[in-house]
Amino acid sequence: MRKLLKRPDLGIIIGCLFVFALFSLWNPEQWFNWGTIRNIGEYTAILGLLAIGQTFVILIREIDLSVGSVYGMVGITFVGLENNNVSDVLAFVLAMLLALLIGLANAALVTRGKLSSMIVTLGGLFFYRGVIYVHGGVTGVPQAARQNWFAQLLGGHWLQIENGFGVLLILGSLCAVILHDTRFGNHLLALGGDPASAESQGVPVNKVRTIAFCLCSLFAGLSAIVTLTHDPETNVSLGTGMELEAIAAVVVGGTLLTGGRGTMLGTILGAFFFTAVRSEMVALGAPPSWYVSFVGIALLIVVTINTLLVKRLRNQWIR
Amino acid sequence: MDKIVSRLAAVPAKSMMTGMDGEIREGGSPKTPLISIRNVSLSYGNFRALTDVSVDFYQGELVGLVGDNGAGKTTLIRIISGIIPPTSGEVYFDGEKITKFHPKKAIDLGLECIQQTIGLCDNLSVGRNYFLGREPIRRIFGLPFLDKKKIKEASAKVVHDFGLRDSVDVDDEIALLSGGEKQTFKIARAVTFRNRVIIMDEPTNHLSVRERAHVNELALQLKQQGLLVIYITHDIFQIHRIADRIVILENGRKVTDVPREAMSSEALEGIIRDGAGTPLKGRSAS
Repeated sequence: MRKLLKRPDLGIIIGCLFVFALFSLWNPEQWFNWGTIRNIGEYTAILGLLAIGQTFVILIREIDLSVGSVYGMVGITFVGLENNNVSDVLAFVLAMLLALLIGLANAALVTRGKLSSMIVTLGGLFFYRGVIYVHGGVTGVPQAARQNWFAQLLGGHWLQIENGFGVLLILGSLCAVILHDTRFGNHLLALGGDPASAESQGVPVNKVRTIAFCLCSLFAGLSAIVTLTHDPETNVSLGTGMELEAIAAVVVGGTLLTGGRGTMLGTILGAFFFTAVRSEMVALGAPPSWYVSFVGIALLIVVTINTLLVKRLRNQWIR
Repeated sequence: MDKIVSRLAAVPAKSMMTGMDGEIREGGSPKTPLISIRNVSLSYGNFRALTDVSVDFYQGELVGLVGDNGAGKTTLIRIISGIIPPTSGEVYFDGEKITKFHPKKAIDLGLECIQQTIGLCDNLSVGRNYFLGREPIRRIFGLPFLDKKKIKEASAKVVHDFGLRDSVDVDDEIALLSGGEKQTFKIARAVTFRNRVIIMDEPTNHLSVRERAHVNELALQLKQQGLLVIYITHDIFQIHRIADRIVILENGRKVTDVPREAMSSEALEGIIRDGAGTPLKGRSAS
């Protein structure tokens, strides 16, 4: 009990259980429908992958506002390469290399240039979106071209479950292990908790920051490729606003914006929470445009639950 | 306290482990300085934090580094700890010139800095703080994972040996410890990792009288173990009781460097209070 109450993601675990129970009772036909489950799986994977990368950066007291534009740019590059007869695997490797370069550039400006990550990545958000506008992002590949093994691996489905969701679970578990069971994870948490203390104990802080920014951009790129192997249509607004959704999922998942505390499970549940509620809102006939307002309200409710209710429970049970 | 003293006696210093004995000069210090600071200056833009400071530190001595706020004590320690490189001048460790300044390098050389507010991450557990920067690894299918069993066992032993509360669980966040317990924990960490140099930066600030005596006793024990202890403080009377030598900095310059017996604590306080103002001339210990 004590261990459970100490978890930073307790609020979102309660939130997801509540949402699951509510929709199961309120609208069971729609909620337990394979179409709904596949949709929720697919969109949880897309938002979850984006949010996992963001979690690494937020854990070290930084932020990456460029992920929405990186998502768009990497996705358009991937599809653009495919349209130029580059094989899917090579297109994937080249598009991910672009994501890696963007991560390295962000990290270099933060660590070497001593610039705030908010400024650097806000600049990136506009710059990469501008590049998409100049390039012209409207493109696509025929659905028939998606019948190869690589596209099916990321964008297909197996036993009614989208493969993208499987990718999210595998990579999410891997990242959870990296965070809690490796030296790098310990350094990441230490850097987020107290950068001066971490550095004084020999933690290579700039190296840790660089890896975190690279992982963030790589996950944004992977999220885009999972999206486009499933639905190979792009446009210039691909990924617009997704950086804020990803940050909301991370925060709702219990990761502190002040760094040093958070879990990958919380982030994945945060992505599931928003996706599930959006899906049900649409199913119940609410106008899709309400979703944006909902994200704001849900963010406030879950964070309030986390800070008030969970704190009270902790005070009661711990010490 | 007895528990701590006996624990210290049982821990061989790294210098002894590695056989770096050095020649012993009269008064108990080796001839070759373990750390030698030569004509070091450091500027932040137009502000000169240190100006042409030269000072030697020997193995097995306890040196009090004293001065008013802004005297340059912490800046000097930040250079020695590898956190910042000097603008000019040279630093030698065990006779070797330091060319790359990085905290990790200083730690690898056996130098541990115990600071009042820095050194522990409140969000990490006691065990993870104990091994921070030196995490033990065990390989599973060739992949490196934290050796959590070793982290737990080794840190629990330190918590027990250094007399921290029995209720302290090494899986608890270190934020749950009191100020005195955190300070003791930092010293315990420095001792058990067998360092050669322990720098204590204002280690007794905000501590109770009893905890202060405890920390000073630890400093003396570390010196007796053959370690170099550099003890930074404002309190000249406190350091005069335990130090072998006292170095006073003022406005980024060294103004005094004397063995404890050469000047009374009152005379040293007078130098700090009245502000000697000029760099050291004729007040050198050696």
